[in-house]
Amino acid sequence: MARTKIVLAGEGGHGVQSIAKILVEAGYAANKKVLYIPNFGVEQRGGVSIAFCQIADEEIGEPRFSKGDIVIMLSDRAINRCSMYVDKNSTAVYDSSICNTRPDINAKEIIGIPANKIANDEISARVFNIIILGVVIKATGVLEADYVKNAMIAAFGKKFDNNPALKEMNFKALEKGIELIEAKASV
Amino acid sequence: MVKKLITEDTKLFMTGNEVISYAAVAAGAEFMYGYPITPQNEVMHTWCKLQPKTEAGFLQTEDEISAGFSTLGGILAGKKAFTATAGPGNVIMQDAMSMAEMMRIPFVCVILQRGGPSTATVIYSQQETTLTCFGGNGEGHRIVYSTSGHQDLYDYTIKAFNTAWKYKFPTYVLADGYQGKMREPFIAYDPESRGIEMIPATPSLRAEGMVGVDRKAVHMRNTFNMEEELMEVLDSFEEDFNRIAPEIQEYQEYRADDADILIIAHGIVARSACTAIDELREKGIKAGLFRPITLRPLAVEPLRKAVSRSKQILFAESANGQMARLVLEKIYGLTTPYQTLYKMGVGITGGDIVEKVEQMDSAIACR
Repeated sequence: MARTKIVLAGEGGHGVQSIAKILVEAGYAANKKVLYIPNFGVEQRGGVSIAFCQIADEEIGEPRFSKGDIVIMLSDRAINRCSMYVDKNSTAVYDSSICNTRPDINAKEIIGIPANKIANDEISARVFNIIILGVVIKATGVLEADYVKNAMIAAFGKKFDNNPALKEMNFKALEKGIELIEAKASV
Repeated sequence: MVKKLITEDTKLFMTGNEVISYAAVAAGAEFMYGYPITPQNEVMHTWCKLQPKTEAGFLQTEDEISAGFSTLGGILAGKKAFTATAGPGNVIMQDAMSMAEMMRIPFVCVILQRGGPSTATVIYSQQETTLTCFGGNGEGHRIVYSTSGHQDLYDYTIKAFNTAWKYKFPTYVLADGYQGKMREPFIAYDPESRGIEMIPATPSLRAEGMVGVDRKAVHMRNTFNMEEELMEVLDSFEEDFNRIAPEIQEYQEYRADDADILIIAHGIVARSACTAIDELREKGIKAGLFRPITLRPLAVEPLRKAVSRSKQILFAESANGQMARLVLEKIYGLTTPYQTLYKMGVGITGGDIVEKVEQMDSAIACR
């Protein structure tokens, strides 16, 4: 793995910037080269929120890239906005329980994951983004889950201490995301 | 005196705006004046968050006109003061910056470029290059460092203070919204540990002692009665600027020695060029980079050598040739043909540069 380029896109409030931060903190702890840049505009909320993350073994040059190795799109608007980052070498992931249509794009692989529904039905709507984080690390193989768990502890330390159930819930969500990709691979 | 935060080499992972504040503290900056503008806000936020530890000063003024002049006031009073701004803030601060040029005040300012003209975008551009180098009603007697990432932001923010206080020309760290908002690791250090001696701030006005007895009178002029009087002063500034240029000018080359196609880019675009060059070299295309680190003054001799060596030049920038104009003037007489990749207010990826250079390379092959 020389360099993994990750695009995370969702609606404001989906928590894509939160998981991007956890992801790069985990990469940093794993002694990888990392670079994260959020897409930021004048909107406070309600727009498509995009995070560009890179995790690499070598020095990272460009902060923004043309095409992602994995492009996560969590809403119809995110699909419209971020299909430009997908090409024939990209894995495109969309949330099939939020998006109304499957992205009509030329990708190496298009994976539909009903993460929002699973979060609501099986764990909690609050950890929807953490399921996606599990999907990202498993689908790219970019990091071991332990690094991500430690980064989550670092990010939510006090909240986890005050409410151990919250920690269990988040870890369960991460594992669920990983399982979703494993299950797909075993088909 | 401001209290140090970093006493030994420390690897940190944060946004560029935070890096700038940490670097200013490391440089011994005592006071920041500023007015909020995206993508610069977090420089101020971080500076203020660190205040309980650093005991540094901060004043949020009513606008950038005031922020610029307040910074000058702080400096004249002998404080190591600085400011940071972006976009329209950079425009309206030019009045104070011109005064810093005229009165040779060691003004330090960090610019986080955003899209222009006017409000445009809060995101990113390289469109404040001309403004930062030559804004104001003067001749551009300014020193401008163009950074390309977090280590640069730390190194050159520290350096900017010493350059300003040593040479008494306004000094800029020219960054952009990408650098301000992105997060990557860098090494923070105490400048002393690298043998960098920080020049202490001294008051220009109202220094200790009695005028004529303990010290000479200070006469800092901003107004002239005669045209010739003004020219005499500006001639001396020009002479000073040209004399110190060789000490200040900095540049970086990447695989440029044997490059057929030389990419000339500054700031964050130079990083995309490095990504592109590695990819192009793997495809057998000899591409290289010349990156001016100081845009004012430019490292002219190395630039002319690099241009002379290559068969073609590509200017790549997130503006419509603002850096290229600075460069073209200095390579007058050379006949190396050039092409351009200009994306006004838009980031340039390695992929963009690869595509352009491949076109240029196939055009050579066809001849």
